[in-house]
Amino acid sequence: MPDQALPPGPDPSTGVQLTAAGVWQGMRRLFPVAVFVIPFGIGFGVAAVDAGMPLLQVIVMSMLVFSGIAQFAVLDFWPRPAALGSIALVALAVNARHVVMGAALAPWLSRLPPGRRVLTLALMTDTNFADTFARVRAGSRDAGPFLGGGLVLWLNWVAGTAIGAVGGAFVGEPAVFGFDVVMIAFLSAMVAGQLRGIGRGAVAPALAAAGVAVATTGLVPTGWNVILGAMAGGVAAMVFHDR
Amino acid sequence: MTAETSAWVAIGIVALVTLASRLAGPALMAVIRTGPAVERFLDGLGRSVVVALVASMVAQGALREGAAAAAAALTMAGTRSATGAMLVGMAVAALWTAAQGA
Repeated sequence: MPDQALPPGPDPSTGVQLTAAGVWQGMRRLFPVAVFVIPFGIGFGVAAVDAGMPLLQVIVMSMLVFSGIAQFAVLDFWPRPAALGSIALVALAVNARHVVMGAALAPWLSRLPPGRRVLTLALMTDTNFADTFARVRAGSRDAGPFLGGGLVLWLNWVAGTAIGAVGGAFVGEPAVFGFDVVMIAFLSAMVAGQLRGIGRGAVAPALAAAGVAVATTGLVPTGWNVILGAMAGGVAAMVFHDR
Repeated sequence: MTAETSAWVAIGIVALVTLASRLAGPALMAVIRTGPAVERFLDGLGRSVVVALVASMVAQGALREGAAAAAAALTMAGTRSATGAMLVGMAVAALWTAAQGA
């Protein structure tokens, strides 16, 4: 079946490979970007300890989840995370973009053996996805840099989290250094970037999402205002796509 | 379930849901053909969840958090540097706290 989502590469019938040289190349290329994951990880480590999470849990969570936005989003439920269904839904809503990113790479990734495909996808983030998507369009057939980029991002995320979680106990009040607003600052920067990059088509979904999220704050269980806001934005994107 | 057990279970759930979201794209594309409407919904959902999170955090926070978010957004709009925006937002919040403590 031809790959309709992708421009024709050098030879679409050739399989995609995963080379060690490619992994190393990806680690080196994304290292400068990954360094900036460290302050974000520190922010999460400090915030998680502040929310009442024990040191070991903070570090294990970063190792296993490896998704800053999801980890920050569920902190609302600590120190007694009992509403497991709500937690799962919040994580799902926050990570829905992974599904879209994976789908965009599907024609290319399906040419990789299943085991290597799972390994590579497990470390997919916004950053190495964006890098890989550009390389796939340019005709690359090596998934190594995708995995290497993910690895270096993961290492920096876990390292940053550990520094923040260990240091958080000594820092005392995270507000003094502004570590408590790392997430809100990063997310609002992302929103500003989205609105600027996509333009007017993004305004209606953004207004719907923000309006519903704010209007339902305090009325629905923890996390649900975000889920409802995101759903409203999704519906608005479906309705207002051609305006 | 003790608080600690339920915390570990919660972490496991977040980890599994996140892994599933990473693996789901290619798996879904192999089984179903999504229409343009579904793709627009998923795309809008992915972008809107960030907006909803920020709006919710600002609504639950105080002026200080709002100022940090606004400073970060303006920095991003002006410089396109997410890292710079994050640092400016943190600086605004830190200065705010310092000014109140003084």
